Amino acid sequence: MASTEQLPAQEITILLVEDDPPTLWRLQDALVKAGFDVAAAQNLAEARASLAARIPRVLLTDLQLPDGHGVELIRETRARHPDTEIMVISALGDEETVISAITVGATGYILKDAFPSDIAATVRDLVAGHSPISASIARFIVRRTQANAEPPPGPELNTAKLTPREIDILWGIAKGFSYAEIADNLGMSRQTVPGHIKSIYRKLEVHTRGEAVFEAVQQGLIKL
Amino acid sequence: MRARHTASRLLQYLLLQALIAILCIFVLVHPLPEPPSNYVVTGFQLNDRGETRRATLPDFVPTRASMQDPAVFTGHFTWSAREADGGWSVYLPRFTNGVVVLVNGVEVLDSRRDPTANRADRATPEIAVIPASLLRDGANELVIRLFVWGPISGFLDKVYAGPDASLRRYYERRTLLFVTLPAVFSAWQGILAVILIVMWAMRRGEAAYGALAAAMALGAIQGFLPSAIDQPAFPELNSTLLTAGPTESACVLAFGILFFGRKWPRVLGPLIFIPGVIVALVGLFGNPVVTRQIFLYLGVPAILLHLLLLALIVGWSEMRRQDVPSLLLGCGVTVVLTSILHDVLEVAGFIADDRLFFTRLSYSAMLVAIGAGLTFRFAQALNRVDGFAAHLAIQLHAAEDKLKASFAREQERERAAALSRERARLMRDLHDGLGGQLVSIVALSERGTEGGRIGEAARAALKDLRLVIDSMDDIGGDLMLALGSWRDRAAAQLRPHDIALDWRAAPPGLPVYPELRPWHVIQIIRILDEAVTNAVKHAGAKHVAVSIETRMEGGGEHGCITVTDDGKGFSIGGENRPASRGLRNMRNRAARCGAVLELSSGAGGTTVRLQLPRRFPEGDAAAG
Repeated sequence: MASTEQLPAQEITILLVEDDPPTLWRLQDALVKAGFDVAAAQNLAEARASLAARIPRVLLTDLQLPDGHGVELIRETRARHPDTEIMVISALGDEETVISAITVGATGYILKDAFPSDIAATVRDLVAGHSPISASIARFIVRRTQANAEPPPGPELNTAKLTPREIDILWGIAKGFSYAEIADNLGMSRQTVPGHIKSIYRKLEVHTRGEAVFEAVQQGLIKL
Repeated sequence: MRARHTASRLLQYLLLQALIAILCIFVLVHPLPEPPSNYVVTGFQLNDRGETRRATLPDFVPTRASMQDPAVFTGHFTWSAREADGGWSVYLPRFTNGVVVLVNGVEVLDSRRDPTANRADRATPEIAVIPASLLRDGANELVIRLFVWGPISGFLDKVYAGPDASLRRYYERRTLLFVTLPAVFSAWQGILAVILIVMWAMRRGEAAYGALAAAMALGAIQGFLPSAIDQPAFPELNSTLLTAGPTESACVLAFGILFFGRKWPRVLGPLIFIPGVIVALVGLFGNPVVTRQIFLYLGVPAILLHLLLLALIVGWSEMRRQDVPSLLLGCGVTVVLTSILHDVLEVAGFIADDRLFFTRLSYSAMLVAIGAGLTFRFAQALNRVDGFAAHLAIQLHAAEDKLKASFAREQERERAAALSRERARLMRDLHDGLGGQLVSIVALSERGTEGGRIGEAARAALKDLRLVIDSMDDIGGDLMLALGSWRDRAAAQLRPHDIALDWRAAPPGLPVYPELRPWHVIQIIRILDEAVTNAVKHAGAKHVAVSIETRMEGGGEHGCITVTDDGKGFSIGGENRPASRGLRNMRNRAARCGAVLELSSGAGGTTVRLQLPRRFPEGDAAAG
């Protein structure tokens, strides 16, 4: 992790998958101007071809693609190239999009209308091991940790692996407290908070079909 | 038609009672089995008060005052040592009131030591084994001293002397009938008394059970009391209780009156207890002989009268209601009446007197009738309760179904109302925010050269869309959750302008408002948005600070959100038209949420302080 933090921008390869041309130009512009090495694709087929040719350090993908769903691309990439960081591109940053991407292996998201400087900063942070999380996404996750007879609407999410500390961190983020305030309140080091967030994302991921079945059995969803 | 029906019913009832009476008489006069006649001792000489005469058993002797002056019967029986197989006994099936038996001058039996034998109303037999050493080959002398203490004359039935093996089973049979059975019935009467006392204790209103309990208790006590001859500890009390028959029958009559639904006769009712009271008073204060006399001449007729009245009442009840308890008790009363008439006639000498009294024994038939009748009534009452409960359950079920249906309708209506309210709110919010921004995007795009501002407007529209979506989420009254999302959006808005967002919110932040609704959240966030937008667009600020705190004021908690910028400020109510319109909007929104907006602006910057209410208002009254 320490080595990647010092990585120059031009050595960070990015595969950008977005079907709306203006949005693609806008994002590509922002990333190229920041010095990243960007490859672009407008659909699943192009993205797969690009991945076959070169394994990127970061994959940025939209979910609604003309020839399929971005979730498939994320799952494939996560399985074949575990070192590639994956982010989803979202119009609204709503939990529907972000959470479904996280459960297949994404560790972050970018808003389509974000400012160029923010886009570059987010990618850089991600490569450095700092996953971004918004208050509303944190709120969605912590609400799923509360035991309810009827789960609130939205994508399925298994929060069984989260520790009480991680849930406390999510509460702090959901309420708008800064990482420093959260760390002070929980009696932990401020630098460790971003690492915790990436770990939270990883724990929410459903890795394989087998594991999904195992978890379903664990939760009593499937009776053997 | 109805009269004929009643008459036929009455006839049926009377016929049934007559049949029962005839059956009773048949049983009563049916002779009990007797031992072989060759064991009967005959040829007695009776020596009674100095007079001697020949006597043939059964025989009577007049009653007398003295206990020490028995009539002496002297007879003989033959015993042969060669023919004798096993021991011999002398068996006396019936006598009143006491006997002492001597064989060859030696006493073998004194019945006065047996308390049950001392009671004239029980036909207690006696048997005594004659010691073999007393018996002589040939004639043996048998002397029976008969003690009489009234109130009826002395009586001695046939006397048997013979092998114990052939006599004893007759003795056992009589003992079972006249000693054991009455004891069993007395015990049962005692149990009935306890049950009725409990019943009466639990249901004080039902005096019938109290009367019957008293009767049963008296009867049970009588069954186990020793008679005066046994020299009890309290002879007066003892004889009073023993002669409580009239009181007992009066109690049973009172039960009959109350139980079968007749109103208690205020004046005549107590009269039925008078014979019992007189007998009791004589028993307590008079001598035993008088007590026995008064019992015989006042008590017994009173009992008879009571039973007749009871028979009438029960018969009338059976006519009226035709229920099982009346019928059962009616039959029971008939049995007792027949028996008591038989006994009275026997004592009075109208029918052959074998001194076998069946009144006590037949009384048990009435007890059985009473027990069965009460159980029937009880079971009937239980059935009625069950029926009532089932009926109630059905009604409850129906009411529940109706309630459920109306609740479902109500819920459906409420849901529809909530949906339409929410729709209206959403429309308003989109109109206020997104609508205006989209219009300005259209306007800007038509001007062609305003690229940057088009982007700005579009971004504002997206931001507003996120706010609307975000506000729909249930945050459980925790405004901090909404402010957390707003922080992300505000920071993203300020970053391109190089304005730092200074966020000061110490945990735990704001109090929780359970009544907080999405539309409150939107108003508050829009106020904060307006403050931040003013700082960026009009004030040219470099820093924006948001501080969130809870203040204790006037004994309650107040949430307070303050937005401060370091811009150039503006004059409130001044010529800056867009700014003043924005201010008016902010104030309106605050008023709708019941919040207080304080605004101060000067050269050093602007401070917008939003003081949240203790409780958010329920209706959006100011929305129009």
